[in-house]
Amino acid sequence: MSEKKQPTKILDVKDLKVSFKTYAGEIQAVRGVSFDLYKGEVLAIVGESGCGKSVTAQTIMRLVPSPPSFIKEGSITFDNKSDITKLSERAMEKIRGSEMGMIFQDPMTSLNPTMTIGKQIAEGLIKHQGLNKEQAAERSVEMLRLVGISNPEGRIKQYPHELSGGMRQRIMIAIALACSPKLLIADEPTTALDVTIQAQIIELMQKLQEKTETAIILITHDLGVVADMAQRVVVMYAGKIVEEGSVDDIFYNPKHPYTWGLLKSVPRLDLEHKSDLVPIPGTPPDLFAPPKGCAFAARCPYAMDICLQQDPDKFEVTNQHKAACWLLHPDAPAVEPPVGKGGKVHA
Amino acid sequence: MLKFVIRRLISMIITLFLITTVTFFLMMNLPGDPFGEMSQKMSAAQRAVLYQQYGLDKPMFQQYLQYMGNVLKGDLGVSFQYPNTSVNEKIAQSFPASLELGLWALLIAVVIGLLLGIIAALNHNRGLDYAAMFTAVVGVSIPSMVLGPLLSYYVGVKLGWFPPGLWDTPKHRVLPAIALGFSTVAILARLMRTSMLDVLNQDYIKTAKAKGLSQTSTVIKHTIRNAILPVITVLGPIFVNVITGTLIVEQIFSVPGLGKHFVQSIQTKDITMIGGLTIFYSAILVVVIFLTDILYGLVDPRIRLAKGRK
Amino acid sequence: MMQLKKELFAPVKRDLDQERIVRPSLNYWQDAWRRLKKNKLAMTGLIILILLTLFAIFAPFISSYDYATQDYDVTNQKPSLEHLFGTDQFGRDLWVRIWWGTRISLFIGLAAAVIDLIVGVLYGGISGYLGGRVDNIMQRASEIVYSIPFLLVTILLIMYLEPGISTIIIAYSITGWVPMARLVRGQVLQMKEQEYVLAARTLGAKPLRIILKHLIPNALGIIVVQITFVVPNAIFVEAFLSFIGLGIKPPLASLGSLVSDGAQTMRFYPHQMLLPTAVFSLILLSFNLLGDGLRDALDPKMRK
Repeated sequence: MSEKKQPTKILDVKDLKVSFKTYAGEIQAVRGVSFDLYKGEVLAIVGESGCGKSVTAQTIMRLVPSPPSFIKEGSITFDNKSDITKLSERAMEKIRGSEMGMIFQDPMTSLNPTMTIGKQIAEGLIKHQGLNKEQAAERSVEMLRLVGISNPEGRIKQYPHELSGGMRQRIMIAIALACSPKLLIADEPTTALDVTIQAQIIELMQKLQEKTETAIILITHDLGVVADMAQRVVVMYAGKIVEEGSVDDIFYNPKHPYTWGLLKSVPRLDLEHKSDLVPIPGTPPDLFAPPKGCAFAARCPYAMDICLQQDPDKFEVTNQHKAACWLLHPDAPAVEPPVGKGGKVHA
Repeated sequence: MLKFVIRRLISMIITLFLITTVTFFLMMNLPGDPFGEMSQKMSAAQRAVLYQQYGLDKPMFQQYLQYMGNVLKGDLGVSFQYPNTSVNEKIAQSFPASLELGLWALLIAVVIGLLLGIIAALNHNRGLDYAAMFTAVVGVSIPSMVLGPLLSYYVGVKLGWFPPGLWDTPKHRVLPAIALGFSTVAILARLMRTSMLDVLNQDYIKTAKAKGLSQTSTVIKHTIRNAILPVITVLGPIFVNVITGTLIVEQIFSVPGLGKHFVQSIQTKDITMIGGLTIFYSAILVVVIFLTDILYGLVDPRIRLAKGRK
Repeated sequence: MMQLKKELFAPVKRDLDQERIVRPSLNYWQDAWRRLKKNKLAMTGLIILILLTLFAIFAPFISSYDYATQDYDVTNQKPSLEHLFGTDQFGRDLWVRIWWGTRISLFIGLAAAVIDLIVGVLYGGISGYLGGRVDNIMQRASEIVYSIPFLLVTILLIMYLEPGISTIIIAYSITGWVPMARLVRGQVLQMKEQEYVLAARTLGAKPLRIILKHLIPNALGIIVVQITFVVPNAIFVEAFLSFIGLGIKPPLASLGSLVSDGAQTMRFYPHQMLLPTAVFSLILLSFNLLGDGLRDALDPKMRK
């Protein structure tokens, strides 16, 4: 957690704004996002589809194709050295794969169908660590063993279509971790997998994370995965961070109505009494023309006049727990949160 | 894979059998006398001898069996017009020129077409893309029957850069090969571009980039390799196009190839020649398509390693 | 933080469904048309095609010449006010002949499109919709038809029948429909499995209704695009046959036969080659540009 003795900052994202140019104008996918990440830490970014979490993550590796996307504002400082947003493509190539690795959502499409597994793992090793083919092949076998694949010597000669989805995601993890990166970005790593396989992959990632002390950004909309892995959580809505804090803050003392909505829409087995799942009504705003006020106001049961007029600043609950909601303003009426301490739901 | 090969092989044999059968009956039922004007100058006795010589006096079914038997042995019969020339001789004599012409055209088309497609896709929606694709669409709109005469006259006669016709030296190959390959360049360029764009949108390209591979090695190792696969499947039909195109291009440039003879035999209604050459051409085309299918299977591990059906 | 009025913190009163739709919603065809209109090349193609069609229909009527009458006083003339496109070696007016040829070429293209729509769409649709054994047999059959080299069959056929417009169309209808059938079958197979079709079927919709209401409208996009490639292809086939002497018989002319005749005399009278060539290539070009534009416009995957 962030109260470690001498935490090394791996990543510092400041006021990041990313937009896409389209025929009808500019889609503001990320609208001023700031967060940081320390060595050995797991930060979860949660939110609905289209809230900008994947764009944020892929922008850190500069993987969003440009055009149509462009970084409008902000900085991403990696490893206290360079601002990612200003690096040349060549300098980025050196960082990608060696200092940052990425796991994608769908393991069925993330591997090249016409190249053997072994070659796909070895590629990064050859590029970044200057290994020759034999050394890289040896390392690939080690990596496969590390991610829990049996008979790795045989597997490296196989093609992706010969493996199951769970195995392919293990291979993706092996590729991402091959060069021992300082930062691993996992973009919905379990979404496309069966539930039982999901648990295995989470377990594997936890185990590897303890072993390697890699910092992880975990993008997901699955709060169960968050509770399992992350120490800190960032909740995104319509391209902005609406709430951030430790896992305990978010699960036991959430402050933003959107976070309440998210928590209510997740099935939980640990609750004392059964509660119905409550979906959040409505849909997120169109990011062509984001609303003047709070983006969530249109769907928020507690919305006030101010919410429609002015976007709230971040209010500090504690020094690491912040939420952007007018309800935290001293003038606002007191609202009893529908989800509360100990995860109990007041229905 | 083996099952795949066998299935394709069987359908190839059926196709060839059907083509030969259809060709035979169409030939035999052609209106008019098979010997044309020649026949009118002959006496009834002479004609009978001639009919007997060609086996035309026997019942149709027997003729059919005999013809099929001969075709199986590789004998395509004797010309009705020139009783001294067999179809096989004609093929042996003039097919090499046609084949060479076709291969040159194919080579030009594949090399330039793929390059154009790759360049266009890598510059998607930018100037080079529009330029390459406009060139390609213009290319499709200028078929060899148009381009051939234009090249022969303007480049061959007026500018004098290359011989406007005939087939003697390497220089003679240039204009016919360009005329024949040009529209194929366009087809391949468009296909390769689409296929490249498709692959560039795949997740595994993002994976490759996330590994830190450079643009160049992502393109060469991951994109082109995969993008070329669907292009291989059309090489068969493309070859068919090129070979049928020789019928026209050989006319225009007076290339002494088989296509020219085919057209001549059509114009003189030399029935056995037409039938024999149709079967010969069909066989080549069907075999080439079969081979490209197999090639595709070999290149794509998803098919190569598939066990069981499809 | 700036001072905020207390009244601002009153809860808002509102209707439950006040979701605003910011982007105007367009249906599939409106959206496609909007994109097509923005594609300058495709629109140019469309306009050229309309103009050429108008010329093909009306130009021969307006002229005082006809396509067949020979006049040995005016052979091989260059374009002039009297003969806008000059004359050929028999003194026939090329302006009239070229537009007659365009008319015939376009007619053959149109006929091919109709055949494709009837035979290809039906064959593919039935094969894909019924699936299973029927599909399998129909597929094998069309595979065999397809692997017989099209031009060779046509050549044989034309020797058998008499050369002419109807023969070319018959020849085309024997093998030309297969690509369309394959395309439609693929599309139908794909759509058949989609939820909304399953839903319709579960609700008891009759097959005919499913085909008419769901499958055909959704396959229409690719059918339209394919047609724009079928037409120039049929025009090309006619030209090919004319070039090897199996096409339209004189004195009638098609663009193919005019190009073929022009090629014989181009060393001495280049306009006899260049003019029909220009119209011929313009037709092919326009169809291709329009087809490309349509494909981009109708492909929902391209929707940004």
